[in-house]
Amino acid sequence: MTPPTSTFVVTPGGASVGGSQSARPGSEPRRRPRSTEPRLGRLVVRSMVVIYLGLFIALPVGAVVRMGFRKGLSAFGAAIVNPDTLSALGLTVQTSLAMALINAVMGTWIAYVLARVPFPGRRLVNALIDLPFAIPTLVTGVMLVVLFGPQSGVGIWFDGHHLRLMYARPGIVLALLFVTLPFVVRAVQPLLLDLDTGQEEAAAILGASPWRIFRQIILPSLWPGIRTGTLLSFSRALGEFGSIVIVSGNIPRRTLTAAVLIYGEIESGHPEAAAAVSTLLLALAFTLIVVVESFHRKAQAGHGIA
Amino acid sequence: MASPSGSVAGSGGGSIVVVWSATDSGAIPTSAPPRLLAPSERPSPRPRAGARTWQRWVGRAFVLGVPLAYLAVLLVGPLLAVVAGAFADGAGAFLGAVTSRWALHGFAMTALMSGVAIVFNTVFGVAIAWTICRDRFPGRAALGGLVDLPFAVSPVVVGLMAMLLFGRQGWFGPALAARGIRVLFAWPAMALVTTFVSLPCVVREVTPVLEAIGVNEEEAARTLGASRAQTFWRVVLPNIRWGILYGIALTAARTLGEFGGVLLVSGGLAGKTETATLVIYRHLEERQDQAAQAIAVVLAMASILLLLAMELLKTKRDRDLDSAGRTR
Amino acid sequence: MWSTVKRAPPSTHSAPGARLGLPGLALLLLGIAGCGGAAPTQSLTETLTISAFSVVREPYDRAILPAFTRWYREKTGTTVEVEASYGASGAQSRAVVEGFEADVVVFSMSDDVERLRRAGLIRHDPEAGPHGGLVSHSVVAFAVRAGNPKGIHDWVDLTRDDVTVLTANPSTSGGAIWNIAALFGAASREPTRSLSGGASPAELLRRVLRRVEIMDRSGRDSVQTFERGMGDVVLTYENEILVGQRAGQTYEQVTPRSTLRIDNPGALVDVYVDQHGRRAVAEAFLAFLQTPEAQRAFATYGLRPIDPGVARETQGRVAPVADLFTIRDLGGFSKVKAQLFSPTGIYTHAIEEAHAK
Repeated sequence: MTPPTSTFVVTPGGASVGGSQSARPGSEPRRRPRSTEPRLGRLVVRSMVVIYLGLFIALPVGAVVRMGFRKGLSAFGAAIVNPDTLSALGLTVQTSLAMALINAVMGTWIAYVLARVPFPGRRLVNALIDLPFAIPTLVTGVMLVVLFGPQSGVGIWFDGHHLRLMYARPGIVLALLFVTLPFVVRAVQPLLLDLDTGQEEAAAILGASPWRIFRQIILPSLWPGIRTGTLLSFSRALGEFGSIVIVSGNIPRRTLTAAVLIYGEIESGHPEAAAAVSTLLLALAFTLIVVVESFHRKAQAGHGIA
Repeated sequence: MASPSGSVAGSGGGSIVVVWSATDSGAIPTSAPPRLLAPSERPSPRPRAGARTWQRWVGRAFVLGVPLAYLAVLLVGPLLAVVAGAFADGAGAFLGAVTSRWALHGFAMTALMSGVAIVFNTVFGVAIAWTICRDRFPGRAALGGLVDLPFAVSPVVVGLMAMLLFGRQGWFGPALAARGIRVLFAWPAMALVTTFVSLPCVVREVTPVLEAIGVNEEEAARTLGASRAQTFWRVVLPNIRWGILYGIALTAARTLGEFGGVLLVSGGLAGKTETATLVIYRHLEERQDQAAQAIAVVLAMASILLLLAMELLKTKRDRDLDSAGRTR
Repeated sequence: MWSTVKRAPPSTHSAPGARLGLPGLALLLLGIAGCGGAAPTQSLTETLTISAFSVVREPYDRAILPAFTRWYREKTGTTVEVEASYGASGAQSRAVVEGFEADVVVFSMSDDVERLRRAGLIRHDPEAGPHGGLVSHSVVAFAVRAGNPKGIHDWVDLTRDDVTVLTANPSTSGGAIWNIAALFGAASREPTRSLSGGASPAELLRRVLRRVEIMDRSGRDSVQTFERGMGDVVLTYENEILVGQRAGQTYEQVTPRSTLRIDNPGALVDVYVDQHGRRAVAEAFLAFLQTPEAQRAFATYGLRPIDPGVARETQGRVAPVADLFTIRDLGGFSKVKAQLFSPTGIYTHAIEEAHAK
């Protein structure tokens, strides 16, 4: 049985999931770390950090928000509450949600298989999972169009059935699935690996089917990972641009997503509108992050960690 | 550890009631002994060996087959398509494409962007992680959320940010232009965008390690008379070095593939302000698909190497975490 | 940390062979070493920055720029390195306004040049030069699949239910604006008007837009989407079609009876040119674009020369147009843009109605 390690999952390009540290068996509860630095040292580092984050994050976000409201509150509202924008936002949320749900299921499934089902080439597959982080989103888009577009076998089959894969919503979901593939898998894997197989073995001996074992013993432990991974992939998908601009038709109110809408507004000289929609996306992203953080902190608190 | 107490409370009949807490992983369950099952709840006798084996194989094929098919279609298929495309005109054409002046400049540019991002995000990343873990001040929690923000921001928005700050009518644009400093449509803006999108990488790697190792060693060093700097260099840094390296590898992997943000702020000057991803984009526009895919393959290979390195580092980092636990 | 204006290393634009790209460090050092914004010291090398629209990438990269470098060196003994950026015309224009320091711009339409004048970057009248500031011509045409299986011959065919149309997005692409303007203009001319049953331009526009499936960012992107198998017809510049065919594409060009002449302007950007001290080179470049040598290069890549002599020479290369009208016939660009693309414009309404669900 492996000693418990930190469940901190960091996926390349994706946010980390919780950095909780449980108490070791038989150890005392960890002390709340006290600042050990003299005042001045602490102040210096703290100001360095605050200035860096302030310059790097707060300032740009502020610039966007300010531009969004530059023509006043009503203009901000008009930029968002108009059919094109609302439809783009709706499409973005719908496709991201669809992707997130599929990802939750498949990601968990893949993690389970990698952890529990030995098969030749398992290590290779495991390494490949992270590949979407390495492929520029642009290349993803082109790859998918080449593979599934109208000139491919798949595309022709789809056309024959009067369905559209590329340049339509399914294509968008497909691109998002590729790009966020590692998120759920990498969030769930460490939880799986840290599970004590003793429980599962006991259940198997007592006659439970693998599905039942999974559902009742394994799955409950995985929820935090699934939740976080899904949330992260969802928030990542909201802002996806490079692949969508290639695989989607970008028709307003049909296949135009929020990020591409913002891009169009920038390029057609409407920075206020672009900034207004960006502000909305930023607010959404920040909310999602806070939600993830609060889950993480709840998990930490559950272990008696400060 | 792996998440909160795993109480497997079964509902309904026939389920096994086991309760254990995370602190007791592997220890004997401390709850009430399993209750006696009523006759109707007892598991049914096992099916005959032959049938069960067949069932099991089919079940296993399904459980294994579906995700593998999924990965084959979603991941492997497109990858193979790109590799095939890259070598469509032979190995010679492949080599020619990846050693052309455009490609080499693109790789150099990507390396520069990565380098800048790594340097800044490592230095400040460690500082930020330190502040989150060790310092106490109001608003510390908000810092954590702020740090994670770049991961969720769309690259278009990042480009917009750069334009709003450094454009001709931007906040800093005119002041910088007056001094002849060009940020937008030159490599500084690209470096800023790249640094922004990879900002959380190192922080998120170092934070848990810092949390795990605790302050005991540091306090011990200080009571023994070590200065703050000495404590940091001699005690803290060695403990977190694998976490830092892992974070650097992550940053590198993330910045290799950055596209949307740099597309907006680059200006697209071939041989001047193109990262490898932008070179790919231009080749696609010029109908040089084979060259585009060749460069993409190189990027993918570099990332695979980075991912392998990260696997190695992860083991070392986890070992650090483990040993930190044992020193208590 | 931020660099000063970079000085490019000396090299001709068309340096042959695989040359090692500059390591970023050298760029950094070069940038820091150079003084900000100052005029280049007297040297045998110069740089020229050009911002152009995506569709002329091939003629410029492969013919015009190398020829100009040669020509300039013969004339002045100085080597000039030209750095060119290509993209959707509208987007490129806005980038220049945002701070992309182009010395010379070559755009799809005069409106994109006008934007620079409104921003104060151009201080002269861009239409004062020879040929009204124009550099080349083209026409709006259709590209259809090999053999024209759907039998598309004119604007009215674009309204058929069995036809899928591609065009770029007018909010970013100059080419798309030409497409829409051409459709709009042709609608009130014969034979299109009778063929469409007397439909108003707005109605025709709406019908065609209903058949549009994908709107790419730039003219080039639009054609490449067509090449990837989408759509039955793409509206684009005639020269785009010719360049694609040269690259091995099998699509065919169909020129409608009535179509719009595309006028591409080129202009010098006063503010940046003076800031960089490159006025002489920039003016030489614009002058070069008017020479028969450059005009012939344009013709090789499917553009229609503005030089009448060269135009006569090369007229066999391009399709004759029965009824060629110009933007002036429609009342000029500002009028057309206001009519079509303003918030209450005909196109704005049409696209809403066409895709309303």
